Amino acid sequence: MRGRPLLYTRYEADQAILNTVTKKVMVLIFLSALLLIPFQVLPGLDFLGENDWLRLLSTVAIFIIGALGLNILLGLAGQVSLGHAFFMGVGAYVAAVLGSDPEGLRLGFGLPMWIWLPAAGVVAAGIGVAFGPAAVRVRGLYLAFVTLGLVFVGDYVFRNLISVTGGAEVGRTFPPLEFRLWKEDTPLIDFASDGAWFGIELTSEAKTFYFVLAVAILFMLLAKNLQRTRVGRAFQAIRDRDIAAEIMGVDEVSFKLRAFGISSFYAGVSGALLASFVGTVIPARWDLFLSIQFIAIVLIGGAGTVAGVVLGTAFVTLLPRLVQDATLWMEDVVETGDNLLATLLDLVVATESTDFGLINTLPGVGPGLSVFQLNQVIYGLLIILFLIFEPLGLFGIWIRIRNYWKGWPFTY
Amino acid sequence: MKMKTKWLAILLVLGLVLAACGGDDAADTTEAETPDTTEAETPDTTEAETPDTTEAEAMILTDIGVDLEAGTITVGLLSDLTGVFSALVQPVVTGYEAQIEAINAAGGIHGLDIILEVRDTGYSVDTHVQQYNEIRDSVVALGHSTGSPHTVAIKDQLAEDDMLAIPLTWYSGWSDPALNANLVPHGTPYCLESMNTIGYIVSQNPDAATIAIASNAGDFGQDSAQGAKIAAEALGLEVVYDGEAKINAADEATLAEVANGIIGSGADIVWVTTSPGAYSGIYGQALAAGVLATWSGSFVAWNFGFLGEESPIRDAIQRDWIFAYPISPWSADTPGSAAARELIQAYDPDAPAYEYYLEGVVEAQLLEVILNAAYDSGDLTRAGVLAAAENLEFMSWDGLAPDQSFVGEPNDIVQRTVTIVRPSAADLEAGGSGLAVVEADYTSDIAAAYQFDKTCFDAFG
Amino acid sequence: MTSGLLILAQESTVVPSEFGRMVVNGISLGAIYAILALGFVIIFKATQVLNFAHGALSAMGAFLIASFATIINVPGRWMEGSPVWLQWVLSVVFALVLAALIGMALERMFLRPMIGEALFAVAIVTLGIDIIVRTITNDFIGQTSRPMGDPFGLKTVGLGCANGGFIGEVDLVELCTVRIPWTTVFQMILTIALVAGVAMFFRSRTGIAMRATAWDQEVARAQGISVGRIFATAWAIGAVMAAIGGLFISMFPRRPGGVDTFTAFFAFRAFPAIILGGLDSILGAIVGGFAIGFAESAASTYLTFGFLGTGFGGVVPYIVMLLVLLIRPYGLFGTEEIRRV
Repeated sequence: MRGRPLLYTRYEADQAILNTVTKKVMVLIFLSALLLIPFQVLPGLDFLGENDWLRLLSTVAIFIIGALGLNILLGLAGQVSLGHAFFMGVGAYVAAVLGSDPEGLRLGFGLPMWIWLPAAGVVAAGIGVAFGPAAVRVRGLYLAFVTLGLVFVGDYVFRNLISVTGGAEVGRTFPPLEFRLWKEDTPLIDFASDGAWFGIELTSEAKTFYFVLAVAILFMLLAKNLQRTRVGRAFQAIRDRDIAAEIMGVDEVSFKLRAFGISSFYAGVSGALLASFVGTVIPARWDLFLSIQFIAIVLIGGAGTVAGVVLGTAFVTLLPRLVQDATLWMEDVVETGDNLLATLLDLVVATESTDFGLINTLPGVGPGLSVFQLNQVIYGLLIILFLIFEPLGLFGIWIRIRNYWKGWPFTY
Repeated sequence: MKMKTKWLAILLVLGLVLAACGGDDAADTTEAETPDTTEAETPDTTEAETPDTTEAEAMILTDIGVDLEAGTITVGLLSDLTGVFSALVQPVVTGYEAQIEAINAAGGIHGLDIILEVRDTGYSVDTHVQQYNEIRDSVVALGHSTGSPHTVAIKDQLAEDDMLAIPLTWYSGWSDPALNANLVPHGTPYCLESMNTIGYIVSQNPDAATIAIASNAGDFGQDSAQGAKIAAEALGLEVVYDGEAKINAADEATLAEVANGIIGSGADIVWVTTSPGAYSGIYGQALAAGVLATWSGSFVAWNFGFLGEESPIRDAIQRDWIFAYPISPWSADTPGSAAARELIQAYDPDAPAYEYYLEGVVEAQLLEVILNAAYDSGDLTRAGVLAAAENLEFMSWDGLAPDQSFVGEPNDIVQRTVTIVRPSAADLEAGGSGLAVVEADYTSDIAAAYQFDKTCFDAFG
Repeated sequence: MTSGLLILAQESTVVPSEFGRMVVNGISLGAIYAILALGFVIIFKATQVLNFAHGALSAMGAFLIASFATIINVPGRWMEGSPVWLQWVLSVVFALVLAALIGMALERMFLRPMIGEALFAVAIVTLGIDIIVRTITNDFIGQTSRPMGDPFGLKTVGLGCANGGFIGEVDLVELCTVRIPWTTVFQMILTIALVAGVAMFFRSRTGIAMRATAWDQEVARAQGISVGRIFATAWAIGAVMAAIGGLFISMFPRRPGGVDTFTAFFAFRAFPAIILGGLDSILGAIVGGFAIGFAESAASTYLTFGFLGTGFGGVVPYIVMLLVLLIRPYGLFGTEEIRRV
């Protein structure tokens, strides 16, 4: 009925992924904005089309895929896992072995992307399922320790499997993002060079951005769909009360294995894309801190929701760049300005080694924190503050804002 | 809860606004403003200068990173300021800045000031690539690029951009034409350094018969270890413990493993290449077990903190340790070193005496020579700067670092000279870096005779 | 100028024992893990918080000790004539007091608001604390390592030496069957003293109150126990233990240079010890710590075959941890969790 958006008359309408007109419109606007970014036509946001920002946004898209995986495991199924980085590493190295140049220094078979990308996910999923029986025997915090051990054992394996990973501190190159049918000389779609698609000139960063965006959207749809299927509901039942779920007929072991498998699939694909995107990766990349970064993304964004994951990933991944730009701007103001703002900021920023400040912009050891350390401190603070004040994360904040405006002007 | 949400929302919006303002400025961090901008009247002094230079400037080609009107050349530095090697790289950047400031004060590159765009990579390959992509559209060259796998990761993009990079690593693989298209490597590579030091030790102790070798994994550690093995074979030393690539500075257990191996081997000479903390851990455990030997390794292991008054190993290291430096140590008695010391102390009076400041000065002077050559040939485009670097034949640092030739076969031009040093508390107390020169400009026989056709350790294929 | 001396093949019947070396190293490592595990378990027992910030607290504590003992030399600078060891002990005490205060402050600021929340969420908050404390501590530590300034230096006790009887303080280069650095002896004695101290503490009024709070917070409150104060005390003790653990790590022979930017990551290696012993058992922390210490030391000494690559010794604790979690998740001495629907 018109005017009554939340009145659903058909089951499909209730369960639809975009079930209100508002959602459909917002998604449409958002998607068109994303598609237009590389052309720098959006007012105020045209800097996003620059190559370095496009690279950042591509990184965000790749991390979204991984974070969706962890969200399925942590937010939907309630299983605490610190081992996400390990599965990403597995995916990356499977992709490397299958897709890299056979003439190269390390193991490679030269297969095309449509083989190595899904294979990365499948093999990671397989290992996730193989690991599952060990994981289902323990609950809660003990599962966190089991997966923590997995990361360290994985680190040891990666360091020593030199023919595959290149060894510690050296790393290896990963197959570039390009689309061939089967080992031809020139790829069908080449992401590495500027060129034209359908007559539109695009830089290689733009092409890569579109590709990873497409993959990310695909996985977002899959994840959102999972929530409304039988499997998804079983996950949520296990998360909320696993003994009760077992009594209801939800086989705990089988569904937990599935959760690990699906989550590891996402992680594997994300790891393969990340390694391929960066080009050279050392085995230490897949360490505990990467896992923690994903946990932070899921918790800051809002566990259990796809929109929350997107918000969280964007926030956590773009934060270092925001802090860096903000610090550069502050340094600029302090050095060239002479107004009140400059004097205030001078208290915060130190530009000489004898200056006082909380943040220093020197390369060396100076008073206060460097930009990188400031990033770390803000990151830690955000984790703490979100968990204390807003356990539902950014998505929770969005819900509050939305509810406020929904009831406006009767907000009480 | 509503109050807190409101503030969080405001903070978020502020953050976005700041980013928006900052995003455009990132490329324009100019420190050099044309003087007298506040004076409305046209002063004669400033205006009189511009007509002459613009005529000359009109003939200089530029593309990115050089702004003739503002009078600036922007050079990027990709440095590890907060990662595993930050203790070594931070002084390099400070030394770099000190030298650039002096260059600018003396007129810069024919009137053009050099501006450094310093980016922190945290010794992470991802961040290195990301930061390169952020500055590639605003710099004319990379004053230095920290880390071998990191530099290799951007080599294709360097080729795409025709961008010059000076690598801040002494990896012997930079002599390989497949890797060095856009690079200007300088200084004695790790493996020749090993050959020099071990050659010197054996020349002073002809009875030495056995050697234990251990290192980090990766280009830095294994290049050095390979050099040690080559030296051992040439000198007839028996390698009684081979711990190449076994050390992981973050993993305590590997240190214990390597220490055990060294202790059990009873070697006369111990060659360990790793970072300072790990080196001291292995040394300490060996000392506790009663090992007495000559200890050496790549110079990267040295940290003046070990000679502190409270350091338990202060006396022991003066008895046992010996290193070789590719540049002159702090207290060296050469015109170049003296000038560099004065420069650093004027720039930052609190700076401790530490060789890495001098490395920054070395790199900055090399950059200056290249930029001047590019200006003289009228081409300050990126390709022009790269060409100037490729055509550079010879560079002398007045004793601050060994003179270097750049054009020729790798075997003929590779740097083989080092300065042999030993820890000395007396030097530290006299204001030096704690390293006393034992022999300057030293090249051992095996290092001189070594046929350098390819890299000692092939890490990157 | 001669560069160093060489080991000459000494004609002697005394052969340095590899096994002895492994045992000494195992004791030293075990003491570190035991102290770190002890602090962790006390915090967990009293507050049900998995403290991922333990590593950062250990580095912070070690840095505070280095500051008081060597950098600013308090109270040593006011005690010119007194024995060096006394000055050092007092510096350490000052540093431990400060570490305890910081621990209490952290608990009050970040963990008090999280009372009643899911255990996992609180654990992640401690992860955030770890990042902040570690970054700030590393900022202070800076470019060089900071020595602890302990009075033991390189002194070593030798057992079964070539010249000099059965037991005695030995020269730096002397062939002995077993050599034990004085620092290891000190660590062992201090560990035993701390364990005894903790055992006595849990019989005191505050200790019993803490045990009651660990058992059931609500009932403890009903009995009039100030749960907030118990939490603060637990975190103070935990921070002090972490600091002492940091001290052990940064002494000769493990890191003669002192505390550096890597010290904070050491504590992650204590998690296997904690799991092995049981998350809420004091005895388990000690037993688990020494067991893992010996396991790692033995693996580093004997399991060095080529096919295992490097660093297998470091992975053995985690393999032990995984096995324990599969077979007996609550550890050797932990209390089993009863699952309610």
